[in-house]
Amino acid sequence: MAKFTRLMFKNLLRTRRRTLLTILSIAVALFMFAVLVSLPTFANQMLADTASSVRIISRTKMGFAYPLPEAYKLKIATLPHVVAVAALVIYGGIYHEARDQFPSVATDAEEIGMWSDWGLTGVDEFKKIKTACLMAQGTMRRFNLHVGQQIELRGTVYPFNVTLTIVGTIAKGPVPSFLIFRRDYFEEAAGNAGIVHEFWVRTDDSRVVPEVAAAIDNQFANSPAETRSASEAAAVGSILGRYRIFMRLAAFLGLVAVVAIGLVAANTAAMSIRERRSEIAVMRSIGFPSGMILSLLVGESLIVALSGGAIGCGVAFGLFKVFALNADALGPFVSLHVPPFVLAETLGVAALIGLFSAYVPARAAAKRSIVETLRLVD
Amino acid sequence: MSKLEGHIALVTGGNIPITGGNSGIGLAAAQEFDRESTRVAVKLEHVTRTYRRDAFEVRALDDVSLTIPTQGFVAIMGPSGSGKTTLLNLLAGIDHATSGSVVVGDEELTTMNDRELAAWRARHIGLVFQFYNLLPVLTAFENVELPLLLTHLSKAERKTHVESALKAVDLADRMEHYPRQLSGGQEQRVAIARAIVTDPTILIADEPTGDLDAKSAEEILLLLTQLNRQFHKTIVMVTHDPRSERFVDTVYRLDKGVFIGSTTGGMSATPLRPSE
Repeated sequence: MAKFTRLMFKNLLRTRRRTLLTILSIAVALFMFAVLVSLPTFANQMLADTASSVRIISRTKMGFAYPLPEAYKLKIATLPHVVAVAALVIYGGIYHEARDQFPSVATDAEEIGMWSDWGLTGVDEFKKIKTACLMAQGTMRRFNLHVGQQIELRGTVYPFNVTLTIVGTIAKGPVPSFLIFRRDYFEEAAGNAGIVHEFWVRTDDSRVVPEVAAAIDNQFANSPAETRSASEAAAVGSILGRYRIFMRLAAFLGLVAVVAIGLVAANTAAMSIRERRSEIAVMRSIGFPSGMILSLLVGESLIVALSGGAIGCGVAFGLFKVFALNADALGPFVSLHVPPFVLAETLGVAALIGLFSAYVPARAAAKRSIVETLRLVD
Repeated sequence: MSKLEGHIALVTGGNIPITGGNSGIGLAAAQEFDRESTRVAVKLEHVTRTYRRDAFEVRALDDVSLTIPTQGFVAIMGPSGSGKTTLLNLLAGIDHATSGSVVVGDEELTTMNDRELAAWRARHIGLVFQFYNLLPVLTAFENVELPLLLTHLSKAERKTHVESALKAVDLADRMEHYPRQLSGGQEQRVAIARAIVTDPTILIADEPTGDLDAKSAEEILLLLTQLNRQFHKTIVMVTHDPRSERFVDTVYRLDKGVFIGSTTGGMSATPLRPSE
C-alpha cells in the first residue's frame, strides 16, 4: 500500500486550496465537536470520580446556605462508620468586583484533613495561622496570585470583609475554584460563634455512605433543623443537574456540526471524484481493479478527514491546556479539559466523515463503465 | 541514412529489455519469431454488440468475425459510427460483447468477470488513447510507473523498467516533466511508454495520431512500427488517418458495424523479420 501513498498525496495536492480548506473546515467542526462533547463527558467523569467517595454532605432541609446548629457535629460524630466531621460555613465573598467571585468557605483548622484527597498544600501553615487560606490553583492563576500573598474578600452575605493570607493551594476537587479559610477567624470577624451551613462527614467505607446519610437524617428528624444528607457524588450530581440541559444542547450541537461538515465533505469528495472520472477510467483500463480504485479514493478522503480531525483535536486540547478556562462562569467546569476518550472519539468521527463522505461517489466512479466514462463508443 | 531511419535507430538503440516480465522481448523473443508469428493473437467469432440509447437499440457491431496474427500490426478503419472503437474496446476487455466469442491470446474474455478482466488487462493489454490520458499530477516517470504499481516489482526494478520504456520512446531526458510541460507528440510517447512498460501481449491504440500535427503523427506511427518490428508487439490500432495504411500490415474495414474486408498495408504485406 505504501507505493500508492505517493499517488494519493499527489492527487490531494492537485487542488491544494480545496484540500486545505476542506481540512480546515473539518478541523473547525471537529474542534467544536471535541469541545462540546467534552462538557457532558467531563461532567460524567466528575460524577464517576466522586462515585467512590466516602464523604457525605449534610445541609438543612430548607436548602442551600441555611444555618444548622453547631451541636450537630458531636452527634453526627457518634454515629457508626463516621470517621470525621467538618463544619462548613459558606462565606461567598467578592475578590475585587462582582464578577470576581469564587466559592469561599470556612472550616475548622483541625478538620482540613477532610479534603486531603484534593491535593492540598500548606496544611501545616493553615493550622498555625488564623487568617490562613488555601486557594484553588486555577483561581490563583486566574488572578495571578501566589502563596504568601494577602487578599481581601468583601462580604456579600455577611456585612464584613475578611483579610486572608494564602498559605497553600488546592489542586483538584469537584468544585476546584474553592477557597477555604478558618472558621475561628470567620466567627471572630462575624462576632458571632456557632454558625454552620454544612457538615461534611467522612465514613470508613463508601458502601456505607447511603446508610450513614439516612442515619444522620433520622437523628435530626422532627427537630427544628432537619437535615438532608447525600453522598458527595449525589451533591455533585445535583450541581451538575443544573447544567444538564446545556450539556444535552452541547452534545446535540456537536452532532449537528459533525453532520454539517460531513455533508460538506461529501460534496467536496463528490466534486473531486467527478472531476477525475476520466483519470479513474484510465487507471481501470490499465488494470487497476475497482476495489483498489475505491480504496485509493476513500484513502484520500480519510487522509483529509483525519488531518482535519487531528488539527481540531490538537487545537481543542491545546486551547484548554493553555488557557485552562478558569472563568467561574463555568461553575463546576472551571477545570474543563478534553478527556482522552473524547480525543479518540473525535478522531473516530473524523474517520467516519472521511469514509462515508467519499464512499458513495468513489464506489460509483469505481463501478462506472470505463467505456461510458471515456466516451469511447464510436 | 534517411531521417526516418535515423529516428528509428535513435528510438530503439538495440534490444532494450523493456520489461523483464513474463515473456521478455528482444533477442530471445526474436528467436521465437517464426513460431510466434504463426499463432493467433486475436480471434473474434460472430461478435455482436448492441447498446441501448433511451428507447433505441444501437447495433454497434453486427456478427463480426476476425483473426489477427501474433506480432501483427493492424489498423481498423471506417467512418464514424462504424463500430471500430467498439471493436477495440472488446479486444481491450473494457467492454462486453452482447454475443459471440472474443479470444485474445489464449483467453476467452466473454466469460470473465470485471475483476478477472482487470487483472487480465494489467498483464496483457497496453492501451494508447487519442488524447493521451496521462494523469496531470504525475510526472512522465510516474505516469509510466503507474501500471507497474500493480506488480510485485521492487522500487528499483520499477525504476529500471520505466527508464527503459521512456528510453524506448526517446524521452529519457523528460522523465521528471509533467504532462503540461510536454508537447502533444511527447505526451503520446509517454502514453506509449506507459502502454509497453508491462510488456503486454497486445498494444491497443485508439486514434493515436488523432490529436497530433502531421510531423508528430508520423513520429508516433514510426514508433509503433518500431515496437512491432523490433520488439514484436502485436498492435491493433483504430484510426481515421490514411497515412497509417503505409505503416501497418493489414487494414480491416468496418462499416455500420459490419466487417467489410481487409487490405494489405502500404509498407509491407507481412511483418518484417528481426534479421531484416
